[in-house]
Amino acid sequence: MDTMKNLNDMSIAQKGSLSVMIDKNKKTIVAFLLIIFLFILGEIVVSNFFSVGQVLLTIKLSSFIALFALCQMIVIAAGGGGLDLSVGFTATLTAILTAVLMDGKNENLLLAILVALAIGAVIGLANGALVSYVKLPPLVVTMAMASIIQGIINVYTAGKSITGKPAPILQTLAAQSTGIFPNILFVLIFMAVIVMIILNKTRWGLKLFGVGTNETNAYLSGVDVKTVRMVAFIISGAVAGLIGLLLIGNMGTAFKDMGSSYVMPSIAAVVVGGVSLAGGEGNYFRVILGSIFLQTLTNLLVALGWGDAGKWLGFGIVLFVLLIAYVSDRRKR
Amino acid sequence: MNKITNASIGSSIKKIGLKQEFSSMLILFVMFTITAILQDNFFQPNSVVRNINAFAPLILLAMGQAVVIISGGLDLSAGAALSLLTCVLTYVMRQDEPITGVYAIVIAFAVAVLIGVINGIGIGYLRIPPVILTFATSYIWLGAALFIRPTPGGESVKWFKIFYDTKSAEGVPAFVKAIGSVFQPALVLVLVGCLIWYVISKTKIGRYIYAVGSSNDSAYATGINTAKVQMMACIINSVFIFLAALFFVGQNQSGDARMGDPMTLRAIAAVVVGGIALTGGRGSVYLAIVGALILSFVNKIIFFADIPNAYQTLVSGLIIIVAIAGSVAYSYINKKAVGRESK
Amino acid sequence: MILEVKGVRKCFGGVVALSDGNLVCRLGKITGLLGANGSGKSTISKIITGVYNADCGEITYNGQCVKYKNPNEARRDGIAMVFQNLSLIPDLTVWQNIVLGAEQKKGIGLDNKSAKEISEKIINKLHPGLDINKKVNQLNPGEMQIVEIAKAISAEPRLLILDEPTAALEQAQVKNLFQYMRELANQGVSMIFTSHRMWEVMEICDDVIIFRNGENVASIDFAEEGKDADKIINYITGDSKKSECEIVDREISGEAVLSIKGMNYGKHLRDISFELKKGEVLGIGGLAGQGQNELLLALAGAYPDMKCDAEINGRKIKLTKPVNAVRNSILLVPGDRQLEGLFLKDSVYKNTIFPKLALKRQPLFIPSKKYRMECEHIVKTLSIKTHTIDTPVGTLSGGNQQKVVVGKWLSFDINVLLLADPAKGVDIGAKRDLYQYIVDMVKEKNTSVILYASDCEELIQYCDRVLIMYEGQIVDSLEGCNINEDEIVSASMCVKRTMEVG
Repeated sequence: MDTMKNLNDMSIAQKGSLSVMIDKNKKTIVAFLLIIFLFILGEIVVSNFFSVGQVLLTIKLSSFIALFALCQMIVIAAGGGGLDLSVGFTATLTAILTAVLMDGKNENLLLAILVALAIGAVIGLANGALVSYVKLPPLVVTMAMASIIQGIINVYTAGKSITGKPAPILQTLAAQSTGIFPNILFVLIFMAVIVMIILNKTRWGLKLFGVGTNETNAYLSGVDVKTVRMVAFIISGAVAGLIGLLLIGNMGTAFKDMGSSYVMPSIAAVVVGGVSLAGGEGNYFRVILGSIFLQTLTNLLVALGWGDAGKWLGFGIVLFVLLIAYVSDRRKR
Repeated sequence: MNKITNASIGSSIKKIGLKQEFSSMLILFVMFTITAILQDNFFQPNSVVRNINAFAPLILLAMGQAVVIISGGLDLSAGAALSLLTCVLTYVMRQDEPITGVYAIVIAFAVAVLIGVINGIGIGYLRIPPVILTFATSYIWLGAALFIRPTPGGESVKWFKIFYDTKSAEGVPAFVKAIGSVFQPALVLVLVGCLIWYVISKTKIGRYIYAVGSSNDSAYATGINTAKVQMMACIINSVFIFLAALFFVGQNQSGDARMGDPMTLRAIAAVVVGGIALTGGRGSVYLAIVGALILSFVNKIIFFADIPNAYQTLVSGLIIIVAIAGSVAYSYINKKAVGRESK
Repeated sequence: MILEVKGVRKCFGGVVALSDGNLVCRLGKITGLLGANGSGKSTISKIITGVYNADCGEITYNGQCVKYKNPNEARRDGIAMVFQNLSLIPDLTVWQNIVLGAEQKKGIGLDNKSAKEISEKIINKLHPGLDINKKVNQLNPGEMQIVEIAKAISAEPRLLILDEPTAALEQAQVKNLFQYMRELANQGVSMIFTSHRMWEVMEICDDVIIFRNGENVASIDFAEEGKDADKIINYITGDSKKSECEIVDREISGEAVLSIKGMNYGKHLRDISFELKKGEVLGIGGLAGQGQNELLLALAGAYPDMKCDAEINGRKIKLTKPVNAVRNSILLVPGDRQLEGLFLKDSVYKNTIFPKLALKRQPLFIPSKKYRMECEHIVKTLSIKTHTIDTPVGTLSGGNQQKVVVGKWLSFDINVLLLADPAKGVDIGAKRDLYQYIVDMVKEKNTSVILYASDCEELIQYCDRVLIMYEGQIVDSLEGCNINEDEIVSASMCVKRTMEVG
């Protein structure tokens, strides 16, 4: 009877791991298929939609969404309903401030990077402290923080025009290409590799996912949940600060609304990538796919002549549908 | 600290604290006074009328938001919904056909209810976290609004001005104008809102909104249809937004897909500042009016204190954070005091 | 006869909660249910009202065969159940809660006046002087329980089921409740009453049905057969096979590894003091929910507000943060493994290496090769049945999941191992493996263990000493030959005490 029990247990585990493996890759496959589907649709509408040039351009444009989505993914992974709505304005702020610092030359680049990191980290610290220790809801805190940063930008730029140009290195990285490949793609891949290593192979990554998966278990195992969540916000802020440098590298100059249109898509990219909004997981590769999907969707809507209206309508509906598929909780209590 | 001192401190905090109405009214009184001092012509009729017109939209939005929050939800799509409704109104109306005004009102009302139903299905039936759900729907409303009205504009019938200023409305019977000169339209809209809530608060749904917000599971265990209750709360919110839309179109005669953007956060802040808990289940909806007034007066104070334009967004944002943090801290102290007393 | 339950059976997963439940309720009579933990008395009540669905058996109510899908259906038929504070709305007032879900209308609004009158009437019988306008979150647990009872009564049921209603009540409130119950009985309302205080059942019930191990073993009509406490206890504990006391006298050195003085935590733990000797297996017993789980969580540092004087190996420590406990090698296997002890969707490997994060001076990069080997070793030592160490823990059986929870501490040098009901919901094979390992560990490494078990058998078999908890306090300490079922059960139910009072 014992051996039979063993076999029974094992086959449960076996069936479990096989179906789980399919499950694990199911979301990546779905994300991939969705993108292909859109490209095919696009090709029907507009010829040359599904061409190498277009695909690469799409990837380039989606890079910024993907970078901001990284911030979201880290905050979301820490659990507790975390979201960071202040990333857009954080990036805008660092872009504006460092523009003056760099003034079109490479000498001050290092300083600019440090300044951007510092500003972003401080904003993240404020967000994290309010969410973790004062226990305010993340959405409201980061939304209000965005408003405050916007205010700071208004104060700073009051009465004067925004001056300064990015260091040429940044422009190379963000705006230009090597051969047919946009450079920012390499930045993205580089970041993705580093992020995945940190999340999956270091102690801190394990802590982060643990806190997001089961706060109580993490707590009882001796992890300081509050600090981990705060650190997640600090990192999100710091990364957003760095993105500001790339933004200005891409655009050539800074302006007041640089980052705000990326916030919604960055959250949507996480949902499209099938990453749980409850926390505990983070697959940046899927999130990048999610960003590409959203950019492709935008291109398609533009190609259809639907412009801005179509873009937001499309985003909203896609997000809504995915929320139903991935997040809704219709089980009977 | 021995038990006795704890209890007595606790009970005095409790007496003041439980009258959260008392503390927010106090703050309102202070703000009111300061504004009255700073603004020379504060008590003159012209100025009063202008102030009421300025405050009314936020009051309406805050009341609607309060209902959703009390039921355990949150509506981040309120501002976008407002914009959408103004676009719908100005899309349906034709300047030279007075009857289109009636059609516009009916259709806009239907759209408002639909907005409430969609949000309600997501929050109540599908149990998607309200924050992210309404975040998504806000972009659906925005997209729809841009679709109807890519740039601000549109038409309005001439009699629509009764929602703003009856004197300048054309094609309107004299008795209406007479009523309008006594009762300011903005004020009437707010009173209508209050009346709507008053009636609802006396019914089953009114109580169930509080029950579901206080403890969704307990309400469910008692057999209450919690999904339907949450959806009703969303629909009530939409009706309030609809009233605000009538005012805006009456005032500006045009629709704008982005006009509501800054109003969402302010409405939520007004609810919190008024003393209603974000977690739901308690607080009088009328407190939202107090909160909206406080925020509005603070804005006026900033204006009159000659704080440069550029600083206004910054100060607004800071006030919101301080207000929310203060409110959370306040209810935390309250809970501890009550907790100690009942041991 | 108003209710008859025949041959009802209910299993949860692999565990049989009720194997053969039978029950008869007569019109206007109060039937008591008695039994030890897990005997099935609570389960049968929940099946009658529709909280659970029976696997088989039949229930006849008012002459008709019924099967309710939820308590609301039962309530419509006149069967009301008093929950244990699960259905009150904190922010509504007492009277609003009492009529919740059944409000009467007056015009378009609600008839609040009659609602208040009804509430006032019922509350006056149960707890005169309680202000019905108070919000429920301002009440203490006893008062909340009264409101729950009032809520059930306001539905004017023909059958009222009270599942451990007196747990949170004080003496005076219990007296009022009994008076009211007698009144209702005289009006023709039948009642089923469960309590762990035997004297209560003796006082208010007309007949009592005793459960043991998932079936009822006796049915006593007090009117006909009189009230014999000893006989009842015997039924509860089973044939007292007063087995010869074979105690393996173990050499336990006098050193105290853990010393606790004056532990207090709200209402859950009151003035607890004890010492744990090195190499000792200290059992914690008593009825469910008397604070045992809270005691273990407190020792693990889970409560920042908990106050006590604690010493480990003679050194003072503060048990206010879990990390303090972990670093002192006081390690917890929590009571609810799925909610508190595991990351269900993560692999066995991830679960076992997670606690290492709390230790100081660990490398930044996880040395996966080394840790994987350690994990394999743990799997082998505890005989965890899993396909690979990368299999998600959620797919394992309950017993193997529990082994993972224990396993994650194995690479530590354990000082004190806290076990909160480790064998709950675990199959016999896994249970045996687990306990074998623990016993070996105690013998070889002189590890000290605090074991809370809801099943007496485990306490009897493995413990050197057993502390019995009741309402947050330690009420008895059993050693050696005194660790047997009779003693444990009677200490748990405070029979000795209350026999004097009763």
